[in-house]
Amino acid sequence: MSVKKTSFFEASARTRIARLVDPGSFSEFCPPQLRHTSPHLARLHAPVAFDDGVAVGCARLAGHPVLIAAQEGRFNGGAVGEVHGAKLAGLLDKAVSERPAAVLLLVDSGGVRLHEANAGLIAISELMRAVLRTQAAGIPVFALIGGSCGAFGGMGIVARLCAEVVMSEQGRMGLSGPEVIETVMGVEEFDSRDRALVWRVTGGKVRRALGEATRLVEDDVAAFRAVTADLLAEYGARPLKPSSLDTLFDAHARLTARTRRFSAARDGREIFAASGFSDIDGVPLMAVDAFNRHLMETA
Amino acid sequence: MNAPSTPPASWDGQKRNQQARIERGAALAKGREVAGADIVRLLEAVIEPGDRVCIEGNNQKQADFLARSLVRTDPALVRDLHLVQSVLALPEHVDLIEQGQVRRIDFSFSGPQAGRLANLVEQGRIEIGAIHTYLELFGRYFIDLTPKVALIAAQAADREGNLYTGPNTEDTPAIVEATAFRNGIVIAQVNEVVDRLPRVDIPADWVDFFVKAPTPHYIEPLFTRDPAQITEIQILMAMIAIKGLYAEYGITRLNHGIGFDTAAIELLLPTYAAELGLKGKICTNWALNPHPTLIPAIEAGFVHSVHCFGSEVGMERYIAARPDVFFVGRDGSLRSNRAFSQAAGHYACDLFIGSTLQIDLEGNSSTATKGRIAGFGGAPNMGSDARGRRHPSPAWLRAGREASPNAAMPRGRKLVAQIVESSREHMQPAFVERLDAWELAETAGMELPPVMIYAEDVTHVITEEGSAHLLRCTTPEEREQAIRGVAGYTQVGLGRDRRMVENLRDRGIVRYPQDLGIDKRLATRDLLAARNIKDLVHASGGLYNPPVHFRNW
Repeated sequence: MSVKKTSFFEASARTRIARLVDPGSFSEFCPPQLRHTSPHLARLHAPVAFDDGVAVGCARLAGHPVLIAAQEGRFNGGAVGEVHGAKLAGLLDKAVSERPAAVLLLVDSGGVRLHEANAGLIAISELMRAVLRTQAAGIPVFALIGGSCGAFGGMGIVARLCAEVVMSEQGRMGLSGPEVIETVMGVEEFDSRDRALVWRVTGGKVRRALGEATRLVEDDVAAFRAVTADLLAEYGARPLKPSSLDTLFDAHARLTARTRRFSAARDGREIFAASGFSDIDGVPLMAVDAFNRHLMETA
Repeated sequence: MNAPSTPPASWDGQKRNQQARIERGAALAKGREVAGADIVRLLEAVIEPGDRVCIEGNNQKQADFLARSLVRTDPALVRDLHLVQSVLALPEHVDLIEQGQVRRIDFSFSGPQAGRLANLVEQGRIEIGAIHTYLELFGRYFIDLTPKVALIAAQAADREGNLYTGPNTEDTPAIVEATAFRNGIVIAQVNEVVDRLPRVDIPADWVDFFVKAPTPHYIEPLFTRDPAQITEIQILMAMIAIKGLYAEYGITRLNHGIGFDTAAIELLLPTYAAELGLKGKICTNWALNPHPTLIPAIEAGFVHSVHCFGSEVGMERYIAARPDVFFVGRDGSLRSNRAFSQAAGHYACDLFIGSTLQIDLEGNSSTATKGRIAGFGGAPNMGSDARGRRHPSPAWLRAGREASPNAAMPRGRKLVAQIVESSREHMQPAFVERLDAWELAETAGMELPPVMIYAEDVTHVITEEGSAHLLRCTTPEEREQAIRGVAGYTQVGLGRDRRMVENLRDRGIVRYPQDLGIDKRLATRDLLAARNIKDLVHASGGLYNPPVHFRNW
């Protein structure tokens, strides 16, 4: 039994950063004492947070210089408002000039902060452009997803733009969140309180089986750190190629193959079946190592 | 002999009445087996007006089909009943009262029906004989409240009527023993009828009729606590309990009340307690339901034995695979027994620790709230000094010495700890000047306020602020200040005499985490041996099979 691991799922944004990067290496931009809070929330007399729900800064991970951001799911579900979005977009812009080994986005967000309406939506679109611009400059962006809010709405899109998506089994990723689908389409279409359904449609294991997550790790900050260190080493050896017609064709070929493989699947169980798992009911209980090994063997 | 003697007309009137009932019932049965469609008529045939009836059920297993069937009987035939049973938990139990078929009730616990019951009492529509603890009620089954008709639940019957209760044996042996041997009628609902039972828990000649229920009897997964919901406050309190109480007294034999507070203690055994070098020194022998949160401690080798009041849904395979720890039959499945486990908890354990809703300034604690008659269950027996105990143990002797250091006659003492956050949900204080139990007693016309654990039995109060060692208090004023000293940010806590509390701290009566060498910053969820239900499944080697609504898979 592993004792005293730090659960990524349960940790706060700042704890995640502190335990992910080399000890003491994190230096925060726009730190709490500057109190960059949301003007929109204040106008609505809603509680504000001194960091608007996201911590950004620079650090080292296994010696590699990185820029890093962590959303705080406990503040408004990690939702992206104007200030929150500007901090993230600014961090990505800074990457283009500073050229770190990578930008790490510790996503924990339900998407746009609805209180901020257009400002939040604009922030998300700026963020998407910023990810693409940063990666076009050869700096890879990694999304690390394992918080209780997952990566939904606009942040689901942002995550999928990233060169790598690292998830834990507890992590979830999607466009419309379970509650949104239920509200719009009805409980018959999607019962958001059926936790088994939610996880087998949006959870880390099914996203990994679909290839949308590129790595699956244990719910342990140390495991996220280890795999991120591996990825940094890989990108150090083989830098991100700027997008070209060839990379676009490659991506299309991958999508076509995926569609062919999973087109009949209506549910996570069928995706696991199509991925060659024999004991479908046993998949959620499989250890991450065994799950990854199986995917490698059947890939 | 001087007194004129009038011997009864006969000595076997009850026996003949029993025979007559069995004959009336047999007309509707094939041997002992009754078809589900005939059960209402059978109940009408064997039950007579004024009968004492026990509908088996506890907070786990329920004879729900028989309860539903009793509700469907003709109130002209089945009436004036006196219910004598552990719980009034099913809506049907209260429906019977509302239909006017029940005159009087004696019971232990009413949990989910507490509100409806309080209403009926206020309207004068039901007499309450008394609210008991389980052991008291079982005791009265053999003295003055013997059921005339017992409606019980079992997993399976064979063709002759032998019963297999499965892991949830619970109250069945106590009920059947009293009823069958005192001219009563025993009717069992079973989930299945089979040719050969895995084991016989109740022999056929103690059973008069059995019926296959259309659906398996309901079992509530009452003892499952999802570790994901354990808070850091609860972890801090668990650290205080382990270091300030369990380690200090070397408590090996114990019972845990239900709740997240005690679940946190169970999950800290393989981590925090192990780091303190306490493995093998504490928590080896238990009277406890098979709590899923105990799995990591069992797997870590902390636990030598567990005797169970009942079972827990999903723990069957795990228990069967750990026969060195649990009490299992030759067939491999658990045999629980509430009466024996309650007796064991009372006499053979050195510590009871449990949560409560309210504690007053003397240390009386109660779960009663206005408008709800909830009853007691087993906690008062677990949580009271066993004055009939004679065998010594180091923890018991030490507590006895602390309670009366200068007593001419040395005595032992049971440790009874209440573990509560100073404020409950909605900022309701757990510490109050006057228990709601007083008001409930007035409105419901009770002779005594329903106190779960009396002040004189409570030896320790543990909160997030610290621990109050009430045994060492010498005066009522000290006791009050010790309680105020751990009552946190409540009116009671704010009303403390700071100088006196500091004095109590110097004497080791009030102890805060720093006094115990506990670093509050270490009270994080990282200390839990399992963080969620899935971790428990992994810890059990895949043997624990949690109920669906506890899963996210």
